[in-house]
Amino acid sequence: MPPEPQPSPLIPHVEFKAVVLLALMLAIVGGFLLYVMYARGVFESTQRLVLIADDSEGAKVGMDLTFSGFPIGRVKRIELAEDGKARILIDVPRQDARWLRVSTIFTMERGLVGDPRIRAFTGVLEDPPLPDGAMRPVLRGDASAEIPRLIATMRALLENLEHMSSEGSNLSASLANVQTVTERMKGRHGALAGVLGSEENAKKVITALDRTNALLASVGEVSNRLDRIIVKTDERVFGTAGVMDETQKSMVQLNAMLRDARDSLKKADAVLAEAQAIGANARAATTDLGALRAEVEASLRKVAHLVDEINRKWPFARDAELKLP
Amino acid sequence: MRQASTWQRGLSRVPGELGTAFLGWCASWWRVFHFGALALVMALSPATYDRQNRVVTANQIYFTAWQILPWFTLLSALLSMVLIRIVVETTLSYGLSQYALEMVVRVLVLELIPLFAALFVALRSGAAINTEVALMHIRGDFDEQRRAGSDPLRRELVPRVIGSAVSVVALAAVSGMVALLLAYLGVYGFSPWGLAGFNRTVGQVFDPQVSIGLALKTLLFGVAVAVIPITASLESPREMRLAPVAVLRGMVRLFLVLVLLEGAFLAVRYI
Repeated sequence: MPPEPQPSPLIPHVEFKAVVLLALMLAIVGGFLLYVMYARGVFESTQRLVLIADDSEGAKVGMDLTFSGFPIGRVKRIELAEDGKARILIDVPRQDARWLRVSTIFTMERGLVGDPRIRAFTGVLEDPPLPDGAMRPVLRGDASAEIPRLIATMRALLENLEHMSSEGSNLSASLANVQTVTERMKGRHGALAGVLGSEENAKKVITALDRTNALLASVGEVSNRLDRIIVKTDERVFGTAGVMDETQKSMVQLNAMLRDARDSLKKADAVLAEAQAIGANARAATTDLGALRAEVEASLRKVAHLVDEINRKWPFARDAELKLP
Repeated sequence: MRQASTWQRGLSRVPGELGTAFLGWCASWWRVFHFGALALVMALSPATYDRQNRVVTANQIYFTAWQILPWFTLLSALLSMVLIRIVVETTLSYGLSQYALEMVVRVLVLELIPLFAALFVALRSGAAINTEVALMHIRGDFDEQRRAGSDPLRRELVPRVIGSAVSVVALAAVSGMVALLLAYLGVYGFSPWGLAGFNRTVGQVFDPQVSIGLALKTLLFGVAVAVIPITASLESPREMRLAPVAVLRGMVRLFLVLVLLEGAFLAVRYI
């Protein structure tokens, strides 16, 4: 067998090409390594945030913390604290940390598909920023946890429905009654028989209606008669020389009588005024008598005083001295 | 009666034969690992790369990597594009498009492209190495070289191992990069505003364990593509009619190893 031809002299710059290929390979691998490190945030300055959860189920290292749908942090570690709570350690790049404030609320929601999502909600962006190493509780929302409750409620609902629609249930009894009523309504007396329960009752009602009709006819006659009576009464009361006319005349006479009475009363009033004047004169006279009496009294007092004076000045005046034993 | 005793003798020989076969199987795998380790050590020691060896290694790299790089890149780009399209469309129709990029990166860059590169190199260079080494072994070229004072392991075999390893790693790296680029275009289109999300997803997928696993897997693929066919060729009997058997055995074993490696890495990552 002839020896194989050596291919090496046929290829120009084979070593150079090999070196280029190796360099390309190393460049790709090294560049990719650097890119992955950059993408993983190795070169970013971060601050630490610790979320405390009752249950860290579903949380994974490397998952995102999102704010308004934008990832602003990454879970670095998940550990179990001494108090039995889960601690989720999150690294937040400092340039994104401005979205986190002291009033920020953190939630961990679990959808039906995919990993749970840790989200931050900041209501007041003017609050002081979240400090490095802050510990915050995380609220959990679990869509799949709602499913058992939902199923239980649905089962109760379905049981109720089944109960309602089963043989002998209230609903079917009501429907049977409705059927009976509609059957009756299809009869000769129609809805009346359905409402009253039987044909006899419906007949009675119809008879009653007939009688009522007759009654109403006689009542019409009676009212006609009453009409006539009222017309006559009207004539007698309000007609010419009727009761009202006479009454009016009597009222005129009564008016004249009242006017006379008023005149008489006026005269009596004048008499009384005069009597009042007499009374007033008598009162003035009584006043003069008072003055006269006062004068008489004053004169008497003067006489008495004079007698006393005379008595004192008189030599046979009595001894007025009172002697005590 | 005589026939029955022959059967009995035959049956009594079965466990012994099974034991021999098992021992042979173990010895064969041991030779694979031994040769692999030896080749790795020699590839990493600078003394291997003297003037003559450098040329041989450069030749091997040229034939196994340089020549096929453009075609392979084109082929894998086409395959990647089809797969990306399928994944993006499917996730869109299920309303899960936010997972499309991660899935594409995981399936294509982490799993399919390294395996595809290894299989491609195995088909093209592995089979050639297997046949070539089997023929050289049967002709006694290695004995001649040993008599001439040169080490056939260093002169002929290690350059082939290096060539195939470099080939698999280079093909996987270039195709992986192209696949990432196509994945970006497939998910975000020609817009620069998806870059932050893309970086984030790639950063999430390539955590340290995954990156080390990918590097190790690709390297092992590269080494296996040369080491297993070479070992299979070297342990075949020196008969020309048995050369195809040696090639067949080497290729089957190589496929088995590639699948096992892939399975083992998947198991480590996801179980």
